[in-house]
Amino acid sequence: MPKKSWTLEQLKKALSSRKDVKGWIITQEHVHRRERYFLLDGNALAIDQDRDVYVQSILARIMVPLNKPDRQGEITKKLFPSLPLAPQLDSAVAAALQTDYQAWSLPEKIASPLSDLKTTDPRMAEDLAGTMNDLTKRVKDCTAQKRPTVFSSAELFLAVHDRELHLSTGLVHRSSQSRAYAEAAYSMMEAPRSSERPKSGTSVPQSDEYLNMRWSVHLDDLAIEEIFAETTDRAEHSLDVSKPTTGKYPVIIDADVLATLFNTHVSQLSAQNAYHGLPFVKPGEDLIPEAKGDLITMTLDPFLPFGADTTVLSDQGIEQRPVKVVDRNRVITTLTDKQYADYLGTHPTTARGNLVIEAGKLSHADLTKQAPVVMEILQFSGLFADPNSGTFSSEIRLAKLYDNRKGSVTYMKGGSLSGSITENFANARFSREVVKRAQFQSNSMQGSGYFGPAFVLLNDVSIVG
Amino acid sequence: MTPKSPVSRAPLSEDLTELRGRLSALIPILEQKPDWYGSVFYERKASKGFLANLKQSQLSDQISAGIVLRIYDGYTLYEQASDQVDPESLKTIATEFAKKVQNSAPFEGAIKRAYHGAKWSERLSPGLDEEITSQIPSDVQADTFVHFGIRYSEDPSSISGNSCLEQLKAIVSRCRELTPKVGLNPDDLTFVMARQNFSYEESIFVDRETNMSQALYRLSLMIITMSGADRTFCRMGGLGGLETVRITDEEIVDMLRNLKALKKAERLPPGKYRVLFGPVLTGVLAHEAFGHSQEGDTCARGRSKAWELHKSGEVVGNEHATILNNPAIFRNAEHDYAAWGSYFFDEEGWLSEKQVLLDKGILKPPMTNLTSALRLGVARTANGKRESWANGVYTRQTNTYFSAGNKTLDELMTELKDGFLALHPAGGMEDPKGMGIQVGISFLQEIRDGKPTGRLFKGPAGGDIQMTGYTPDILNSIVAKSKIEFNSKEPDKAQNPFNDTGGCGKYHKEFVYAGCGGPYLLLDNVILG
Repeated sequence: MPKKSWTLEQLKKALSSRKDVKGWIITQEHVHRRERYFLLDGNALAIDQDRDVYVQSILARIMVPLNKPDRQGEITKKLFPSLPLAPQLDSAVAAALQTDYQAWSLPEKIASPLSDLKTTDPRMAEDLAGTMNDLTKRVKDCTAQKRPTVFSSAELFLAVHDRELHLSTGLVHRSSQSRAYAEAAYSMMEAPRSSERPKSGTSVPQSDEYLNMRWSVHLDDLAIEEIFAETTDRAEHSLDVSKPTTGKYPVIIDADVLATLFNTHVSQLSAQNAYHGLPFVKPGEDLIPEAKGDLITMTLDPFLPFGADTTVLSDQGIEQRPVKVVDRNRVITTLTDKQYADYLGTHPTTARGNLVIEAGKLSHADLTKQAPVVMEILQFSGLFADPNSGTFSSEIRLAKLYDNRKGSVTYMKGGSLSGSITENFANARFSREVVKRAQFQSNSMQGSGYFGPAFVLLNDVSIVG
Repeated sequence: MTPKSPVSRAPLSEDLTELRGRLSALIPILEQKPDWYGSVFYERKASKGFLANLKQSQLSDQISAGIVLRIYDGYTLYEQASDQVDPESLKTIATEFAKKVQNSAPFEGAIKRAYHGAKWSERLSPGLDEEITSQIPSDVQADTFVHFGIRYSEDPSSISGNSCLEQLKAIVSRCRELTPKVGLNPDDLTFVMARQNFSYEESIFVDRETNMSQALYRLSLMIITMSGADRTFCRMGGLGGLETVRITDEEIVDMLRNLKALKKAERLPPGKYRVLFGPVLTGVLAHEAFGHSQEGDTCARGRSKAWELHKSGEVVGNEHATILNNPAIFRNAEHDYAAWGSYFFDEEGWLSEKQVLLDKGILKPPMTNLTSALRLGVARTANGKRESWANGVYTRQTNTYFSAGNKTLDELMTELKDGFLALHPAGGMEDPKGMGIQVGISFLQEIRDGKPTGRLFKGPAGGDIQMTGYTPDILNSIVAKSKIEFNSKEPDKAQNPFNDTGGCGKYHKEFVYAGCGGPYLLLDNVILG
């Protein structure tokens, strides 16, 4: 271990003894990651890259009083234990003094013991390298299976994040989280059966692929064999496609898309948006104007076992509990952490957690039969969701068209879809099947979690072919 | 003649100058076996962010620093990454890492491709930019410490937090003050934000043949104005000094004018249209078209159609379809600072050089990183990049753009006649095997008889518009391209089209900086919806 100039306890003492500091939050995180990239080399599976990563960080958020009424300064700075402490703190305080925020105060220390939540897969916590080897064997077994498609590549990422939160109020909280990521890509090469795609006078055989990705906290939710099976199945259909005809369709989207849309849209229910003058839906208003389909009931659940945002505390030291945010389409809670509660003169609520949406009554098969023609999006190319307007759009990478008049199911590719949460969820029908989903950015401390319907049927979605 | 002022370049920090001297000692540990190729990459990014909005002024001060020890054994590139860089830790980490690699075995049937590092004589290609060659001593040897520093005019490290925040607050006020010029009230602006970032990025690459460092100053400025859910933005930046981030009242007024028009914007009926892409949109198109599918690791993974089409010599675009990738843009169009996606060497120590990816519709060899070049049997290029030292290396784009044409903007507007002008990007996505493409556009400006009508159009659902299609079809639909200096009829003096600030998330996760620009591009009969 490197020589340390100071310890965490010394940092806390140093901050507490400073008269020019009114409060502080320290987050210490140790991360261990293992990563492997696989590809087909000749006819054999090969590991292109094999990585082992250790990251340690101490972030201090320091609040300082300013010579202005009801204002304060703030800075979040990474501190290095190998460097002397005092100059780092002097520099942080000097920087904080240049900023200008409305004043707020940290919450009182929590008296009751905090709930013990399920946030880490014990296999990863105990032996990350061994778990990587076990998963590698499963990848190898999957790629060894004889299929009509050709395996292209795969990636496996595993990580354990150990974290400590220390507040100047005396609150100390330790937690950990495991994260797993898997992706697989398979290609299909054959003469097209019914492709409408231009062939550019080609001597090159038709080929296409399917890439599948999944994040999880628990390895059972990663389901590697399921990812590989789904990938090869969809790759197999990737050449037998048509372009959709331009028009408005009833469209089924899956939980991955739902999770992205609502984890983006939920910012419109936050106190932060209310404070900054950004689009905001206040309690008492409808989430979806004039909704007539399955009315959305949404809970922010920080207790969901092995959720991507399962946490008992907010970053500002507020105890988190499941909170209903939308009840049958009516917004009932503004998501508010301590800072914005002080700004708006309200009480803090749960501000972190996994989005839980109440399931519907119809099965996936029922959803496909709700109209004469139903389009099911299997994958978007790149979904872009606008948190301000609630609109979303993407090219269609692969879709199924259920023509219930003819009793046929055909695959579609190309063209784009444009939607709006406020318009296209007005007659939404949610599936009764539910799934859990997770999403992480590689270097962020916080993930986005979802538990709810595996599918939803939307109305009148614009598609251009 | 006035004497040339001395060139100012970003230096390597003192502590890193000391560190680089110690890194060579790790190479023998990482090359314990004769077949192993060992290398070390160190990176430190120290960034300061300044932000002002209507309610707050904020400052952030972040540092990301760490080291990557690398062993390539002929089959697999092994990396051990850590933020512990004291001498004792480094030696211990390297020794344990080598032991771990020694205990690893390739899968049965894997093919061995040995690599032993390139000497300086192999790295010094005649095509290297003078900004690079001028910083390499003529008698360069394996043990020469070579440093590359980005050139700057106005020292960005000298600016104080207070003065930067005051400037940003002045921009926020200016946005409100200028609202009457476009017929808006100050209160119509529900959100205004000005953010400036300055990042001092230093890196070191060491193997048995080289010991290189580079220091880049990266600056960006972004202004956002909102009225309800409608939003316009202005973004600028580059590598150099404070000269890279200057905003004028005209640019603010343009943002406000568009914001006002967006409040009354109509919805575009989906269909096929004639459209003139501005430089940033053109950059997105180049990046997603034969950008991503020309990334060597995607080819090596069997995921690129471009690799198959390159080998067959297929024509995938018309005479206007020439796309380049260039990490060595040290003069960005007529501006005397480097483009956003530039650097002197990549994160695997390969020197930057311009590369043609698509030449009048014919695909050339792809961009590469170390392992993809070895697997494909093609030349190394300087495209081995990672999100940070803690992330893996992939083949990534730098500044990707179409070559310039010969028209002025006025001539292209006349040639567009009736259609749309697209200037504001909203992301994009590639489809490397299926050859589909998605280019997002925030909104379109209607043009009639070569003149803007003032009407703006949003997507069919009120959001972004997507241009989609089959990549070769789109590259065959290019009608004309602008010059680099598109407002002048004189021949271009600048060497490269302007590349704006941008980013790229490969495989839906790894984020890196990427320059995004090019000439104006007139496209006919493309699908917008």
